[in-house]
Amino acid sequence: MLRFLTRRTLGAAVILVIIAAVTFFLFFAVPADPARLACGKVCPPETLAQARHNLGLDQPLFVQFVTWLAGIFAGRDYEGLGHCPAPCLGFSFVNHAPVFDTIVDRMPVTISLTIGSSVIFLLFGVGAGIIAALNQGRPLDKIASVASLIGASVQIYFVGTLAMYFLVYQWNVIERPRYVPFTDNPLQWAYGLLLPWVVLAIIFTANYTRMARSTMVEQLSEDYVRTARAKGMSSRTVILRFALRGTLTPIATIFGVDVASLIGGAIITETTFSLQGIGRLSIQAVLNSDLPMLMATVLLAAAAIVVFNVIVDALYAVIDPRVRLS
Amino acid sequence: MSARTRSALAVFAIGSLALTAACSKGNAGAPPAGAGPSATASATSLTDLFAPPKVTIGTAQDSAGPAVAPEGVVKGGTVNMIDRDDYPHLDPGRVYDNVTANFHLMITRGLTGYKRVGKGDYKVVGDLATDAGQVSDGGKTWTFTLKDGVKWQDGSPITSADVKWSMERLFAPFITEGPPYIQQWLTQDDFKKAYGGPYGGKELDAVETPDDKTVVFHFTSPHADANYALAMTGYGIVPKAKDTKEKYDKEPFSSGPYIIAKHVVDKSMDLERNPNWDPATDPIRGAYPDKWHLEFGYQSLQVTDRLVADTGDDKKTFSFYSHVAAERTQQVVENPDLQSRLLKQPSPYGDYYYFNLDRVKDIKVRQAINYAWPTKQIMQISGGPASSVINTTILNPSVSGWLDYDVFGMKQHPEGDIAKAKELLAQSGNPTPTIVYGYNDTPTEERITVAIKNQLAKAGIKVVAKPMNTKTWYDATGKVDNGLDMYWSGWGADWPTAATVFPVIFGAVRDGGYNQSHLKDPAITAEIKRIEGLADAAEANKAWGELDKKIMETVTPLVPALNNVGLQLHGSLVGGAEIDPVSWVVSPNTIFVKSS
Amino acid sequence: MTAVTLSDARPGRRGDSFLSVQDLRVSFQTEDGVVRAVDGLSFEVEKGTTLGIVGESGSGKSVTNLAILGLHDPDRTELGGEIWFEDQELIGASRTAMERLRGDRIAMIFQDPLTSLSPYHTVGRQIGEVYRKHKGASKKEARDRAIEMLERVGIPHARTRVDDYPHHFSGGMRQRVMIAMALVCDPDLLIADEPTTALDVTVQAQVLDLLKDLQQQTGTAIILITHDLGVIARAAHQVLVMYAGRAAERGTVREVLTEPRHPYTWGLLSSIPRLGAPVDVPLTPIRGTPPSMLAPPPGCPFHPRCDYVAAAGPQLCTGERPDLSPATGHGDACYLTRAQKQEFLGQIKGRQ
Repeated sequence: MLRFLTRRTLGAAVILVIIAAVTFFLFFAVPADPARLACGKVCPPETLAQARHNLGLDQPLFVQFVTWLAGIFAGRDYEGLGHCPAPCLGFSFVNHAPVFDTIVDRMPVTISLTIGSSVIFLLFGVGAGIIAALNQGRPLDKIASVASLIGASVQIYFVGTLAMYFLVYQWNVIERPRYVPFTDNPLQWAYGLLLPWVVLAIIFTANYTRMARSTMVEQLSEDYVRTARAKGMSSRTVILRFALRGTLTPIATIFGVDVASLIGGAIITETTFSLQGIGRLSIQAVLNSDLPMLMATVLLAAAAIVVFNVIVDALYAVIDPRVRLS
Repeated sequence: MSARTRSALAVFAIGSLALTAACSKGNAGAPPAGAGPSATASATSLTDLFAPPKVTIGTAQDSAGPAVAPEGVVKGGTVNMIDRDDYPHLDPGRVYDNVTANFHLMITRGLTGYKRVGKGDYKVVGDLATDAGQVSDGGKTWTFTLKDGVKWQDGSPITSADVKWSMERLFAPFITEGPPYIQQWLTQDDFKKAYGGPYGGKELDAVETPDDKTVVFHFTSPHADANYALAMTGYGIVPKAKDTKEKYDKEPFSSGPYIIAKHVVDKSMDLERNPNWDPATDPIRGAYPDKWHLEFGYQSLQVTDRLVADTGDDKKTFSFYSHVAAERTQQVVENPDLQSRLLKQPSPYGDYYYFNLDRVKDIKVRQAINYAWPTKQIMQISGGPASSVINTTILNPSVSGWLDYDVFGMKQHPEGDIAKAKELLAQSGNPTPTIVYGYNDTPTEERITVAIKNQLAKAGIKVVAKPMNTKTWYDATGKVDNGLDMYWSGWGADWPTAATVFPVIFGAVRDGGYNQSHLKDPAITAEIKRIEGLADAAEANKAWGELDKKIMETVTPLVPALNNVGLQLHGSLVGGAEIDPVSWVVSPNTIFVKSS
Repeated sequence: MTAVTLSDARPGRRGDSFLSVQDLRVSFQTEDGVVRAVDGLSFEVEKGTTLGIVGESGSGKSVTNLAILGLHDPDRTELGGEIWFEDQELIGASRTAMERLRGDRIAMIFQDPLTSLSPYHTVGRQIGEVYRKHKGASKKEARDRAIEMLERVGIPHARTRVDDYPHHFSGGMRQRVMIAMALVCDPDLLIADEPTTALDVTVQAQVLDLLKDLQQQTGTAIILITHDLGVIARAAHQVLVMYAGRAAERGTVREVLTEPRHPYTWGLLSSIPRLGAPVDVPLTPIRGTPPSMLAPPPGCPFHPRCDYVAAAGPQLCTGERPDLSPATGHGDACYLTRAQKQEFLGQIKGRQ
């Protein structure tokens, strides 16, 4: 286990540095100049040069990258703005706040969104899939498959906008989504995020229903499930202890990917519901040519995927003793 | 005042995410087809609506407080404001864009400002100064006297030293974002080379403070509209004693009617009254609500839906710059219940289809294209008469001295005059020219381009359409050797005179510059220089208007594009909401909260 | 050795046999139609004995045993006839009644121990949970019992291996685990469905010997399903040869293997390689393929593959399906006369 973690952590670090480097150099491949955006509309050459210097863009690209990278571990000093302690991801080109602080500020929103919706879509998705599998060919199964087909084919900005328009503005069924920190008031937290959770879950649930149904059907015809029944185990035990176990592996796989991508930022959801999370941050960073913010959000998304890959791999070993971590 | 419009245009790169830019302008921001024409606007109200605003210079009497109150004004209460973005700079010296400048009206004062006298009637008056400035030395020397009783938020008096300091610090290396005009006039074009700012202890001699109340500017050449320039937020004042350089951007010190009580970057801001602001000294700011709650992070669609629904606290909510979302335009325009809460105002920007004069050398061809131009078709594609108006001049109607003319009969023949175009082409060296037309690669632009192509083909002009990446649009078209014959571009005046229009868009030709037609006519350049040197503002404005027509007649460097109409909603308990015709955002100065 | 009586006669509780299957009919609904997998099968098993059921795949032998355990899919299967387990009728028994019976009094061993054991649980847990379920034992007791069972089936170091997962075991050891699991509650009836097919030959013998030893210790009745007559010869007392969902022949091992009467049994015997037989003598597999149970041939279902239709009389073979006769003892379902059978068997033996 320790060896596995060490190896994977090293691998992850290498991947993250590569992603950071690719992002960094790609940013400069696009001819939009962030210094030009930090210079007034009428921008004399000396002022432009000054803006470039202020943003650190007058250094050779490689030096900029290494400085940025070193800042993460050692912190950096910014002339006039003071020290940016490690892990320093730089100051935003746009709002001039330390990027790390902004990320830390936005993370709870995205994590709350992720946790709430993933609990819903995991429970409902897998539950519906199991019910469908146990009622193969019966009306319940058909309802589940039609529902998941609909869920799979709608888009978040469609459902989300529709939900906002009718539930919030027209019928006043629920209040406008907002983020209240969990530590302030757990009830308000859940209520404020309920709509985005449900809408996000609608999109994802379908995947889990279909996946759970098909693997469950497969599992139910497995020999060891028949053995369990031959041993006199009750149907509930057979389903929960034996068949479900086998469906966990593929579900863990897609769940890991989904959660990682949600942590990386549910851009459309956050935009639709005006939630200030990582997704909004990343899209703004792109639009504003805000390199430090862009680097941070890309890196965060990449880190989420890398970390969840490791978690999923470790989870495989927990779920299935045949899998060895190596 | 439209630095943001420039970056906002880049925003359209991700148009598919429906991130509609706030102060969108030009055809890049035109609503998609389907947003139909207004069914409610009558002919008279259209004339009314599109009457150009009047901006004149006010007297010392005009400069005395308090502000002119809007009808039915109520003091007190909390008003909510929702928009997409937080303000990038709280240090006034780093502010250029109209949206941030509008916000700064609440915390920052300057020597001069715009006083709203009535609907469409504005005066440049003294804000901290007792009047709009005294000119001497043929327009090279400007003298301002500070009012009595003007104070910082801590109660200390605002002095001439603060004003001088505020000008000097703009030369410091860390300030790059603001306007350059006053600095250039005091020193040289590349002003950062002339002076490095006051922090090293070195003063700028061109600004003098003979006493605590008097500030004197010595420009190197005459500038009749220095009082317009000084009204920009970029020349707002910063206290010498509290200046923390870079950090001031996070911790500004208020001279305006409000103090920032709480600010969560990119999320929200709460403003409370500044007890040391005296309405009797302020002719500009009404400051009627006791508190302001500003929230950021809302797309125009969400703002529109909330304001349409108008429930609960949203009744006391408005938006500084969020326009009605394109997908709701028709619904909003046609809903009679919303008309009392719907604000309309044409943009103060100039939008043009430039000719590249290096390539399209024959003026007959350029004029033929002007005659043939499918104005009406483009208007239909862009959302119809509710969202745009026909413009026939280079200067926007909101600019002082604007001269109304229609050389190519666009209003008479909005669908294009093909016969006249053919006639001109026949006189030209090439009756069947080919035009390489670069356009922003968005769905709306694509449709407009097809309309242009089909229309010009009728006159015998072949259009080769070149779709271009939105994000790099300005960089590509801004190159002198851009390989294109025609392309759209926009320009917003920094203050409502032509002094920040013609000298720029017909100025130096260079890569990344703003002379996108590459006009190098010596007669016109000389005329621009002459008018710039005029000491009398009224005379200068009149001359600019005439020059506008002359350029169009003798050079025809462009086809004037449609002028977009901004549509904004506000909550039913928000009073005094009006889109400012010059800054094109809802000014906080007249806002109040109705009791019911 | 006549404790086991086999009959193909009228349905109903027959005598006081330990397990009595009477006129069992199992059919499935499929998209193509109704498959009659078992069609009027009767047999009996007594305590302490082993009944070997032999037949090609699709002959209905596994289906029969799944039906005894009630492991068929109730939605798509139709059951007929009677299955008496002592005094209890199993067809139509409640689900909970069947759950109580399964694993406790009737246990089953499946063909492939790798897939038939859960890969997600330790062998100790899989063995122990049966014990806990039926005997109400504590976790500790169940674990001790699992170790004991593992020891009994001859797994070395049972105390440490009890916490291993099935994939840690070799094929033969895994089948021993299966057997330990099946026998943990001392069942009265053990159904072993091809228990040695997936194993190599030396391991096969060990597993069969193990079953035999355990039977001697506990007196369990065993139904041993196989397609391998060698296994039957080694481990069974009685034999039931199934073809197309019915018994083709039944009798004691000696009777069936030395004096087979049904042409199908002859075919089965001819297709087995024998140790010591000349290697150049070709094996003679039964020609043709097993019949489709969607539309079985009329009359004797074996007739399309049978070489003796002419001798028995084509009208007979394609007419009515022959009954097993005589009703008890060594019986077969074929229209050939006793004399013909002896003659043809003699010819076959001569050839070999």
